[in-house]
Amino acid sequence: MFKKRNRLFFLIFVLPTFAAFIIGFIYPFFSGIYLSFCKFRTVSNAQFIGIDNYIKAFQNEGFLQSFWFTCVFVVLSVVLINLIAFAVAYILTLGIRGSNVFRTVFFMPNLIGGIILGYIWQQIFNGILQKYSTNLALNETYGFWGLIILMCWQQAGYMMIIYIAGFQSVPHDLYEAARIDGASKSQILTKVTIPMMAPSITICTFLTLTNSFKLFDQNLALTNGLPGVVGAGGTTIYKTEMIALNIYKTFYANQNSRGIGQAEAVIFFVIVVVIALAQLYFTRKREVQQ
Amino acid sequence: MKSTTLKRLAALGLAGLMTAGALAGCSDNSAAPDSDAAKTGDASKGSVYYLNFKPEQDKAWKALAKKYTKETGIDVKVETAAEGTYESTLTAAMDKDDAPTLFQVNGPVGLANWKDYCMDLSDSDVLKQLTNDEFALKDGDATYGIAYVIETYGIIYNKTILQKYFDSDFASVKSIEELNNFDQLKKVADEIQENKDALGVKGAFTSAGMDSSSDWRFKTHLANMPIYYEYKEDGISSTDAIKGTYLDNYKKIWDLYITDSTCAKTDLASKTGTDAETEFIDGDAVFFQNGTWEYGALTKGGLKDKDLGMLPIYIGVEGEEDQGLCTGSENYWCVNNEASDDDKAATLDFINWCVTSDTGTAALADDMGFVIPFKKAKEATNKLVKCDAEMVDAGKTPVTWNFTTMPSEDWKNGVGTALTQYAAGKGDWDAVVKAFVDGWATEYAKANG
Amino acid sequence: MAIVKAKEPKKHKKQTLGMKIMTIVLSVISVFYVAPVFFVLMNSFKSNAGISRGVFELPNAETFQGFQSYITGMFFGDFPFWQTILCSFFITVFGVALILVCTSMCAWYLMRSNSIICKIIYYFCIFSMVVPFQMVMFTLAKTADTLKLTNPVGILVVYLGFGAGLAVFMFSGFVKSIPIEIEEAANVDGAGPLRTFFGIVLPIMKPTFISVGILETMWIWNDYLLPYLILDKTYYKTIPIHIQYLNGSYGHTDTSAIMALIVLSIVPIIIFYFACQKYIIEGVVAGAVKG
Repeated sequence: MFKKRNRLFFLIFVLPTFAAFIIGFIYPFFSGIYLSFCKFRTVSNAQFIGIDNYIKAFQNEGFLQSFWFTCVFVVLSVVLINLIAFAVAYILTLGIRGSNVFRTVFFMPNLIGGIILGYIWQQIFNGILQKYSTNLALNETYGFWGLIILMCWQQAGYMMIIYIAGFQSVPHDLYEAARIDGASKSQILTKVTIPMMAPSITICTFLTLTNSFKLFDQNLALTNGLPGVVGAGGTTIYKTEMIALNIYKTFYANQNSRGIGQAEAVIFFVIVVVIALAQLYFTRKREVQQ
Repeated sequence: MKSTTLKRLAALGLAGLMTAGALAGCSDNSAAPDSDAAKTGDASKGSVYYLNFKPEQDKAWKALAKKYTKETGIDVKVETAAEGTYESTLTAAMDKDDAPTLFQVNGPVGLANWKDYCMDLSDSDVLKQLTNDEFALKDGDATYGIAYVIETYGIIYNKTILQKYFDSDFASVKSIEELNNFDQLKKVADEIQENKDALGVKGAFTSAGMDSSSDWRFKTHLANMPIYYEYKEDGISSTDAIKGTYLDNYKKIWDLYITDSTCAKTDLASKTGTDAETEFIDGDAVFFQNGTWEYGALTKGGLKDKDLGMLPIYIGVEGEEDQGLCTGSENYWCVNNEASDDDKAATLDFINWCVTSDTGTAALADDMGFVIPFKKAKEATNKLVKCDAEMVDAGKTPVTWNFTTMPSEDWKNGVGTALTQYAAGKGDWDAVVKAFVDGWATEYAKANG
Repeated sequence: MAIVKAKEPKKHKKQTLGMKIMTIVLSVISVFYVAPVFFVLMNSFKSNAGISRGVFELPNAETFQGFQSYITGMFFGDFPFWQTILCSFFITVFGVALILVCTSMCAWYLMRSNSIICKIIYYFCIFSMVVPFQMVMFTLAKTADTLKLTNPVGILVVYLGFGAGLAVFMFSGFVKSIPIEIEEAANVDGAGPLRTFFGIVLPIMKPTFISVGILETMWIWNDYLLPYLILDKTYYKTIPIHIQYLNGSYGHTDTSAIMALIVLSIVPIIIFYFACQKYIIEGVVAGAVKG
């Protein structure tokens, strides 16, 4: 359509987005990588110091704690959200009365922002816990399960919608054929439905995986990392702090730790890229198989 | 021999002279252009951007800024950081091109962090207005900060209810004069707690809420007490490693607060500053640890001057009968050195106007309830301030504010979390000690490393 | 590629006992799903003391204070909430509009041109989708500040830049499926690229427009950290910033007011949801399948 020399239309069509993209992504991204090797307070006074920040990041107990906390959280939330969403989607496609109403209700929490959801659930959980004389800020188990419940409540509806679409895309003749061959209901589910649902399952798994991994707003509003426990050397370790929140706090709490915060952000970025590449790998493999 | 010695001496002297000269040259180079620049700056072309620390006074500052703009046409923008986020807000704001021209540090520790951004105020008009040189925050010869408010805190008590207690038959302490050390305070609090129904209260102390809107009362202000006595004993004014000599006393007073309280210990984690304030205003509790800045909220809530009094915080140290209230400042104005000359000049004019003009001093004294250490200060109408004056007149020794030497916000948060856990019975006191003592050394090294 | 049918075929199957039980079970779960919203609504009518006493208690004569919290929160204080709502509305509406127009044009050009530069831009866009915000948080805030993008108009540029990845990717996916012959025919008829795009390509892309629009709206309306770091908060706040600000103990915590403001901020979303439910759900599916 466009020849290479067609500069004018490049300017009209691409330039606005491209210019904004440089401001909003390309420049911040590369200078971010550079700064992770620097000691700096602001961008202008950065001093190159090599991999010092990375060494310090891996020695940062709070960062390591948040990393493991995030991993446990991610595994559990991914499994739970997908199980719930899959089951509900399955039931809703059976044609029970009120399916549309249920679908509407279950999807609703997705539209409310993380900060507001976190606040609402904080009030609810603390209201319940108060009856048992405790509080979210006192026990990391409550904070952990609170986050899990919050995420299930919010995300299950979203995944459910995708699963419903998946169920509807399975051709009806397949079921007919299976039935004629004398397959039982559970056989149809495991031998026909689930294999045909593989694309939806992959998508939902990776969506929940990245969402849970990058979680910030809900974490900030619900627990803000509390409770803290005094670790070795008197440093306080926050038990329900996830990676994103830990990086944010490292960054803005203390001017001297900015380089470390930026290095942690780069590590975080690498992890997320690995997850994304894994997704790409699985999607490709699936496409080849089909 | 002799001549070589002489030569050596001469050389030494010369070297000394040169060093002194070089030093003087340095300080000239660094200090002089700044103050000159501020003088050459044109205030009418500049604007002021104040990053305010005190949420309670946010409205009053904005109103005062408006008045100043109306009077002079110079734009004054006031932004207030949410409770407990001043340091991070300032850090983020200083990254911006349009950075605050006027900000504050809490004392020497804060200054160490922000010195690069602080203008030398030695030649400023506002410095000359200070009543006492000790309110200037110095580093070497240069003055980087000026205290703009002197505050006092202690245990605010409800006079009316306390009198009811003194008059009752179960009271073993009969007057406020007898209430002058920790043992007496504990006796009073315990007896009030035991007879709370008879007195119509829910507890002796308001809830020691550990929500972030209220935990500074304990992790910072109350923690000042053991630090104060340790510094006093060791004859120092700051340290890179605290010993925690008086932490048992800290435990005693904290135990008292959370035991003789309006609510269960386990509820404290989510109680807010507003909860405690409401309890005190409603007469549900007799004691409320807070400071002079709380006066506005208390009177607005319906308490009268005659209901209010303030006691020193007794923690069971020998000779504390002569201890007064905690008085000091953690609020030092600093002018951003990296602002344009015009903005610097405008900012200096603004703060000078605040502490000299009738409008300014009236606003600071009446609307904000501040006692300001400046010559033209208007006398405060604040009853709690008067309590302090009475104490000083009675010969009590004020407790200085040493919490400004706490190593970092992270340290305070660490102590706060440990206190919360301890209060709820989830953690032991050792964790508080560890966060206090070990955490101090670690955080100090981090902040200064 | 799967797209949910707008209306499922309405043949009422015979309800077996198992299905009836399922309906009942899901009804109970639904009640729990909407309960938090009613929880907030209920508390917004109570006084602070009432909330402090028990968050699950219904308002009674003593704790009921009607719309007082709404009125104070909405119109009074240093930063009345109506300004916040206005600010959020402005940023969301214009941000989404800008993203839709610019990225759809960009995606079409990128797909129809074979130059290396276009390929590079395209792959960068895809790449940007996986980068977590924390990675660019500091430098982006600094850049935006240097370029004076700290107001509701400037932040639109930041949203266009940071949100370009997903939008370009989704539009590109659709452009690939449009047969190029249509455009070539138009070209032969003498239509330039601009006329071809707005006259022919744009109308075909309508479903993708809706999908992208929905996803970006949900993102921008609820976004917290990006506007928090970029906007000049003295003058402009978005709804999440405002709520977090109040929650972050701004001197005194007025729980009742926070509850009231949450209700006010949820109402537009619920209306939006019921008005465009069909599109929202389609948008989510389309976005998920491609992303």
